[in-house]
Amino acid sequence: MRFRTRKNQIETTEAEISRMTGDLEDLHHDVGMPAMHETLAVWAEDLRGATSRATDRRTFLLGAGALAVGGAALVAVNRTPGVAGAATNSSSSSSASSANPPNTRGGITGLSGDLAVAALAASLENLAVYAYGAGIGAATAGKLGTVPPAVVTFAETAKSQHTEHAAAWNSILTAAGKHAVTVTDPKLTPTVNQKFAQVTNVTDLADLALLLENVAAQTYQVQASALKGTKAIETAATIQPVEMQHAAILYFVLGEYPGTQTAKGTPLAFNPTSLATS
Amino acid sequence: MNVDPQELAGLLEQSQDLQADAINGSKEPLSHLIEAHRAQEDVLDDGDEMANRHFADQHRRTIERKLATTGLLGVAGGGLLVTLLASPAFASEPADVQILQTAASIETLAVSTYATALTLPYIGGSEANPVVKKFAQVTKSQHAQHKAAFNSAIIFLHGKKQNNPDPAFVPVVKKAVAGLAGASAAQGTLGVVGLALELENIAAETYVNDMGQLKNTNAKKITASIMGVEAQHASVLLAVQALLQGGAPQLITLSATNVASLPAAAGSVGFPNAFYPTKDAAPMTQGAIK
Repeated sequence: MRFRTRKNQIETTEAEISRMTGDLEDLHHDVGMPAMHETLAVWAEDLRGATSRATDRRTFLLGAGALAVGGAALVAVNRTPGVAGAATNSSSSSSASSANPPNTRGGITGLSGDLAVAALAASLENLAVYAYGAGIGAATAGKLGTVPPAVVTFAETAKSQHTEHAAAWNSILTAAGKHAVTVTDPKLTPTVNQKFAQVTNVTDLADLALLLENVAAQTYQVQASALKGTKAIETAATIQPVEMQHAAILYFVLGEYPGTQTAKGTPLAFNPTSLATS
Repeated sequence: MNVDPQELAGLLEQSQDLQADAINGSKEPLSHLIEAHRAQEDVLDDGDEMANRHFADQHRRTIERKLATTGLLGVAGGGLLVTLLASPAFASEPADVQILQTAASIETLAVSTYATALTLPYIGGSEANPVVKKFAQVTKSQHAQHKAAFNSAIIFLHGKKQNNPDPAFVPVVKKAVAGLAGASAAQGTLGVVGLALELENIAAETYVNDMGQLKNTNAKKITASIMGVEAQHASVLLAVQALLQGGAPQLITLSATNVASLPAAAGSVGFPNAFYPTKDAAPMTQGAIK
């Protein structure tokens, strides 16, 4: 037969792309992950050196332990975070309040400097993990109609990468003797809940995911220039382009130009910061 | 957010025109920026805080007025550039100048590479996939804007603009372009996509790496606003490359219904790393003016 059928064409494509994706993932784990672990270890060392408070043996061991298992933490944390308020009535002020506890209870308040940024970043990543998890759950339950296989792969991979990002930020916090952030971003969680309640199909879900990715990327962009520690800057800088890549593929999924753009769809050469949160 | 393909094509056309206008019109405001910066130096030398603040305000208004006539404000994130370039915080940092010159040299090479690619019939001509062609046109324009931004930052840091391509990567590009001679449209398109992907990754990885090295806050902000855009270019090229290699060029199209036909793996091929690598970043002084 001279021409392949469409079905065979897709199968060939699937096999070829799967092989390429496998190669790239190997590279990520062989090269990318060790480099990130090194950055996080040095940053944690910087933070320990800079801290003025007395470091007791227990805290030291906690920090060292977090670093020692950092590799496992980065790849093993694969659960939906404890979303304070995320699954409840988002418009309730009491809900919003309870969703913003101090760091001693897994929240983002009560920290300063680079550690406050790390906590904010972790809460944003938690929110992305939560949203993708909820989306995957809705799709699995058949609430979004027919879900294309590429969308499923996208959501699962993006969720996995956001989980790694959250773990990276939390490993910094725990290494500095602080608590890992387990809540979702208190400011954005109500909005995400509100929008998710209106999601009825894949396009709606992609729109919501795009919003989250752009908020995260723009927040990192702002913070990468505001952070003080070199390794902290490097951590934000290595994550920001990945969030933008997620956004690019989402634009493609939506049939739009696959890059940062104005509300009217005009491509932009410079990523804006109007959606950045603090 | 759904867009009719024809409407999108129109938007892209409009964008290309606007960006071309922005680039063409940017020469005058950029030269004005240089003049303004020299005047700023005189004011800053006085060490008068009130005068500095007054200058910054005046300077910002002047830049906004100049850029508004070019479309650069609306099209290219010009507001950000105005804020950064008008800031008195752009103090001299010799190492930063070298880093920015290297960045400008990479952008110069990217612009010339896309320009060359667009002369090929299967990238810029009638044989080209419309999406690939538009991407090449828009991306070339964006790299030109990046180069202009880096060079403007260099001027504000008392350095010399870098308009030459990165010397280390020029032979790589030349060899790749020579290898396209006699290639079929399919082979040639893959070759160009592979080359462009390599350049985009070098650019993105270099800028990610630069973020930890730059001292000047405004230089960091400009670099940060560009690095993710290069990463998006790489992401698109990865997806295009995978679809071409998988024998499904018909799926390289911008349509809201296209996603239903995409293979599952296409959903993740565009972002292979959870953390953007820096192993292929250019050395900081590689493209610096000696």
